[in-house]
Amino acid sequence: MATEDTDAPEIEHAQSGVDDITGGMKSQLGLTEDQNNLMGLAFILPNIVVFSIFLLGPVLFAFYISFQEWSILANSGTFVGFDNYVEVLQPAPIGIVDGNIVINSRTLTDPTENLWWFALRNTFIYAVGTVPLQIFGGLAVALMLDKRVRAKKAYRAAYFMPVMLSGAAAAVMWRWFLAADGVINSFLEPFGAAHNWAGDPATALGAVMLMAVWGGIGSNMIFFLAGLQNIPEELYEAARIDGASQWGRFRNVTWPSLGNTNFFVIVMAIIGAFQVFGIALVFSEGGPYYATTTTVLLIYQRAFQEGAMGIGAAMSFLLFILIFTFSYWQYKRQQSEEIDY
Amino acid sequence: MARSSYEYPGYERAGVTYWSKTAALYIIVTAGALWMTLPFWWTVTTAFSADPTSAEVSFIPAQLTIENFIQLFDRPDILIVRWFINTVIFAGAVTIFNLVFDSLAGYALAKINFWGREKLFLAFISTMMIPGMVTLIPVYLILVELGWVNTYKGLIAPLIAGPFGIFLLRQHFKSLPTALGDAAKIDGCNEFQTFYKIYLPLAKPALATLGIFTFMGAWNNFQWPIIIAQENAMYTLPVALFAVRNQYFADWGLMMAAALIIVAPVIIAFLAAQNYFIRGMSLSGMKG
Repeated sequence: MATEDTDAPEIEHAQSGVDDITGGMKSQLGLTEDQNNLMGLAFILPNIVVFSIFLLGPVLFAFYISFQEWSILANSGTFVGFDNYVEVLQPAPIGIVDGNIVINSRTLTDPTENLWWFALRNTFIYAVGTVPLQIFGGLAVALMLDKRVRAKKAYRAAYFMPVMLSGAAAAVMWRWFLAADGVINSFLEPFGAAHNWAGDPATALGAVMLMAVWGGIGSNMIFFLAGLQNIPEELYEAARIDGASQWGRFRNVTWPSLGNTNFFVIVMAIIGAFQVFGIALVFSEGGPYYATTTTVLLIYQRAFQEGAMGIGAAMSFLLFILIFTFSYWQYKRQQSEEIDY
Repeated sequence: MARSSYEYPGYERAGVTYWSKTAALYIIVTAGALWMTLPFWWTVTTAFSADPTSAEVSFIPAQLTIENFIQLFDRPDILIVRWFINTVIFAGAVTIFNLVFDSLAGYALAKINFWGREKLFLAFISTMMIPGMVTLIPVYLILVELGWVNTYKGLIAPLIAGPFGIFLLRQHFKSLPTALGDAAKIDGCNEFQTFYKIYLPLAKPALATLGIFTFMGAWNNFQWPIIIAQENAMYTLPVALFAVRNQYFADWGLMMAAALIIVAPVIIAFLAAQNYFIRGMSLSGMKG
């Protein structure tokens, strides 16, 4: 092979020649294909074991459990078919009775009707309310800090601090700030706006969302700061020469260039929002009157507080399908967008 | 840095527009930063206040005390030292296992040319799309069967390897030249020695980033410990805080003191090694 390189002195071939030489040395050193396979397997085996026992196996096991009535004492189940799914989903907001489509909107407003749909509604409200604010808040902060701001590092640290906080600690802290006699009310009192934010079913979910936005801006800021670093300056220069306004430069240079970051940030934020659990549990334990009962919190209560493992597994599978469908849809959308640019 | 000249080029600098824009920028950024940091200040003032009412703790308390912290150690049902040790053991073990397993796998996926390597890597990465709560119930039932509920083993085992670490270290090992390993092998190193003596020392920055990030994640983890640690003596700090909250609701001074014990180590570590935290965060953004 090396002699061929001298016959055709092209740069690309020189590179492949180096690979061939080292490849030849490897075989001289006795590293055969079999030995490589064996070595690779040995290095990766611990991970394969852990992933099989604690990730892939359990996903299949969860599917199995969702069709069982599970006994905690015996730690075994009896097959009940789709009973768990039916119990979770009925009564549904939209059903078919005698060939007619029946809309039962009470399932979305009355927690005693069907807690699954009510919790799903809470989770949707939470996701719709928090995700855009977390993302655009993070982007806005990143754009501001990317400019000529003094003490940039100190500002960045300030915005990042909530990210490092345990959700449990954040929830306890905000419960105190938002308590009826808490710090925030002491600021609102002069304006007559004091309110028992955590104790009122109408505002409790909003309070959890405020806390989530507070804790979520910093991490998105970091993702966007990293994304902004990768945009070539020449693009901005070209846009200026073409007379683009500041908004035009953002719309046509910054935003499209952040494509991959946007995709990742949006998907992660929504997957996270659909799995919100700890802050809702510690802040208000799902209450008052189920106002902060999210789907994962409901799964936790059903499975681990009431021992209904089959119901819990069915719920978690339904949520899994929801999250997977969404991620896949975003992924397809991202791919079709990429062709445009 | 250089880019900011495009956003605010020199010829705009002297004008009124420039200065009012700059002033507005600073006001907004500072207001946001206050919103982010004031809660931490209120937590500190409440924890050290002799009379934690809202009027007292909003700015600077009139009377400072460490009574709340003494209470944390004195109350018989608050095992703050035990909980702290539990959390250190839990987060420490999870971090060490992750570093060992992920660096082995990351190295193999980057440097050993074995059959099915790329497919295996894709399989590992795609497990990131599995939402954590799907596996909660089955993993718990498996650990019940093993009798690992309320044990350190049960706390640690399900978290000892993760796709993020494999991805991060694989990318890092891939960026190191293959020639180093070939040279080591000519000198008589076997594959493991090449990994351990040549490549691993060169991966120290990536290992530090992953280590800090994993430790922080485990330290703050709530979802898994609350399921597996059901006895007071086995709680980790976030779970314990939830238990304290239920026991001493409205004793805000005590609760903020407990919250500070969880928060303070992370904040101190962050201020000491800010770049590692930021780097870990932005790398976790690259995995998409």
